Amino acid sequence: MSIMIGLEVHCQLNTESKLFCSCEAYPRDAQPNSSTCEICLGYPGTKPVINKKAIDHVISIGLALGCRINPESYFSRKTYFYPDMPKNYQITQYEVPIASEGSIEVNGMRIRIRRVHLEEDPARIVYADGNLETASHVLVDYNRAGTPLAEIVTEPDMKSPKEARAFLEKLSTILEYLKVYDQSKGASLRVDANISVDGGERAEVKNVTGFENVEKALNYEAVRQQNIVRLGRKVERETRHFDEVAKTTRTLRKKEFEEDYGYIFDPDLPVLDISDEWKSKIEKGMPELPDIMVKRFLKQYGISEYDAKVIVYTGKDFASFFEDVCRIYSKPKAASRWMINYLLKSLNWRSERISQSKASPDTFSELLTMIDKGEITERYAKELIKEYVDTGLRPSEIALKSGAKPSLQGLRDIVKKVIKDNTKAASEFAAGKNDALAYLIGAVLKETGKRGDPKEIARMIKEEISNASVAQ
Amino acid sequence: MKRVVILIRVKTFLEEVKSGSIDTDKFVSDVKASSSSMQEKYAPFITLNEGFGKATPQKGALQYLPVSVKDCLCTEGIRTTAGSKILETYVPNFDATAVAKVKAAGGMILGKTAQDEFGFGTFSTNCAYQVPKNPYDPERTCGGSSGGAGCATAAADFPHIAIAESTGGSITAPAAFTGTVGLTPTYGRVSRYGLIDYSNSMDKVGVISKEVYDSALMLSVIAGHDPLDSTSHNKGSEDFTKYIGKDVKGMKIGVPKEYFSSIDSNVKKLVEDAIAKLEGQEAEISEISLPSTKYAIAAYYIIAMGEASTNLAKYCGMRYGKQDKISGEFSEYFSSIRSSGFGEEAKRRIILGTYMRAAGFRDAYYIKALKVRSLLIKEFKAAFKGVDAIATPSMPMLPPRFDEIAKLSPLEIYNMDKMTTAPNLCGFPTISIPVGTSQGLPVGMQLIADHFMEGRLISLAAAAEVIK
Repeated sequence: MSIMIGLEVHCQLNTESKLFCSCEAYPRDAQPNSSTCEICLGYPGTKPVINKKAIDHVISIGLALGCRINPESYFSRKTYFYPDMPKNYQITQYEVPIASEGSIEVNGMRIRIRRVHLEEDPARIVYADGNLETASHVLVDYNRAGTPLAEIVTEPDMKSPKEARAFLEKLSTILEYLKVYDQSKGASLRVDANISVDGGERAEVKNVTGFENVEKALNYEAVRQQNIVRLGRKVERETRHFDEVAKTTRTLRKKEFEEDYGYIFDPDLPVLDISDEWKSKIEKGMPELPDIMVKRFLKQYGISEYDAKVIVYTGKDFASFFEDVCRIYSKPKAASRWMINYLLKSLNWRSERISQSKASPDTFSELLTMIDKGEITERYAKELIKEYVDTGLRPSEIALKSGAKPSLQGLRDIVKKVIKDNTKAASEFAAGKNDALAYLIGAVLKETGKRGDPKEIARMIKEEISNASVAQ
Repeated sequence: MKRVVILIRVKTFLEEVKSGSIDTDKFVSDVKASSSSMQEKYAPFITLNEGFGKATPQKGALQYLPVSVKDCLCTEGIRTTAGSKILETYVPNFDATAVAKVKAAGGMILGKTAQDEFGFGTFSTNCAYQVPKNPYDPERTCGGSSGGAGCATAAADFPHIAIAESTGGSITAPAAFTGTVGLTPTYGRVSRYGLIDYSNSMDKVGVISKEVYDSALMLSVIAGHDPLDSTSHNKGSEDFTKYIGKDVKGMKIGVPKEYFSSIDSNVKKLVEDAIAKLEGQEAEISEISLPSTKYAIAAYYIIAMGEASTNLAKYCGMRYGKQDKISGEFSEYFSSIRSSGFGEEAKRRIILGTYMRAAGFRDAYYIKALKVRSLLIKEFKAAFKGVDAIATPSMPMLPPRFDEIAKLSPLEIYNMDKMTTAPNLCGFPTISIPVGTSQGLPVGMQLIADHFMEGRLISLAAAAEVIK
């Protein structure tokens, strides 16, 4: 059965203050309801004044997603009663948004963007016992009320939950590169996912955070809807809630009719005029976007497309780390291999981003140089990276300190000594006798007290002997 | 009828304060005593400021001047209800920008004047508190919705200016019915920050005063751009009193025929006399036509109710204002608060306003009304190419008696606004001045000018005032 998925992504924008007042947008360790004022609490008589930075951000999102920036857009009031809404209407954009009609490519598929608009975030609802269905009452934290949100709406162009997830991953990287979205400040992406099967009615799964959850919610929904169709029944139009614990969706409300929010133009905010000058100023200030960066990496560093994509899409901080390493260390391919296969794994294991971690391009380059020089074996290097990510100590220090691990700074010297002491075996090996290699490895291991990777030692022996032959 | 005595003009008072010839302590206690007895007689106030005169006022253009403030403007530390029960206990923690400017200029807040709930009315009878009585005849209305402001201005036997507010005629109506001057500035001329919203695209903070000079002076103080109000115009303020005494010779006044049909004949005669007197000062009078005016009331009420119904959504018994013991679901709780907190007219406007912006009706009502507004602005703008100002009656009748009002249907009441809705809908400045009395009751003339042409209105109004 065919699946159609369209997404509405709400991105909390990276601004110092809220959308319509000067309260701090992402207060750290703040008490509930402490970052509020009469404006974001919607007190009688107060009026919104728009944060220009938030408009800048939406313009840059629009441009990055290939949208048209509308020279005139409007703010509207979307009216509904809910305790998280200080005014019981939300200021959003309805008639004409800031940006319209763009698209991005995700794994060779083109996903169309219908619109990108600016709106205010409602307050945060806290269920008294942590559960929507059983809580006797809710608590409201207005610290979040008025945080600027960009809502990015796609056309229903995704054909599987997996595609939806890939789209979200790409989108979030773009948002991060644009510096409009900063998770480290506490900003989040929330997704409303619309899904239908075989052209039937769609269900909307509201307010899902985490791309894995979105994929799970959609998978559940796809199966649920397909089962209904198989039984010869019709899927009902409704809004559903995703239970993060049970990983299932549940009916929130039936939608027999289009929801009626009674939109009117917000009479407190004039028409938003975005001049060509404003637009081009944003355009000029835009950073290199991920797809362009991948192309540049292929050319500049000669790494594989796969590696370039992993580095770039892991995050802007990861890509900058790579570029910084390449400034110090001259082998980009080795750098990307070690970063992707080992450094990234250790970071993921700690659920840490590279920018939050103790790793630095300087010390990581040192590690790569130590491997090259044979001061440590590759096998040990893989171990060392874990400790390096854990402690942030210099790799040379870790290697030295670690008694249990072979201190193999002198491995190459030992290899050299063994070759010198066993000229017979060395020349036999040079002449093509492989048994001699095993003998030499054994001799080296004897010297190191069985510490060291035999493969690594074999590589070194080969290098030393061929160097010697060249020297002769 | 007891004619109000102007003990001392505002202009003279302010000069004497400056020269030090006023015993300010005595003045403060006299004003307090007088406003208390005025309250007993006519009830212009919802809340009298207990702290009046306690702090030494700032030095400035209004030093020691008692200023009353319509109750829809927030006043720090003074209860602000906008005439509604739902805000009975609401004490703002900030001043509206206009109020802050009055204070910074040395004005002293006398109290908060009565009004129709949230501005929903023409006679101040839709008030959750005492209804202000007309000092010319306490059996009659002061007009609305700024009825308390008109009442206090007419009744005060001390120098005083009222800060009022108009959405569809709420300054002109009470000015006409209480024989006072009412200045409704251009939309955006005065900051709306701190003004409790009725219909944000039309709400205008303005002035009611005894003389044209007082209104011009107060406008000079409260006008100007405010970074807290995105719709406040980027113009600075100016000294509007300089327009007083300007020669009106050669100024062109248009008289729209649509505004003189089916109105009270006494009103018509007095307004025509006033226009004739301006002509006597060599202003050029010509008849004009504003045919789309007949759509103004419908368009005005659709937009006003549409916006009002969203503005009133915030009153739900959380965060401020009327609260109750929490029980049941949120929808049950806020419904109960709103059922008991809002008056009948507020409920009517919420229901109508919600209907007119609902999916399926929105295009036929709300969007169409916005188009009518654009059309009306065009029509007025075209007229202003030929004339400097337009003269009409302020109200189509003499101030009615409360028992007469009680018999009127809501639609009949809405139709009383036919002189004022068009200019208010379009954001044009207007001034209403008293042009005499009929059967002992005051009559007002309304002058309308193009956007930001308050200066012209002040010149013409002052000229008409001199000849009264």
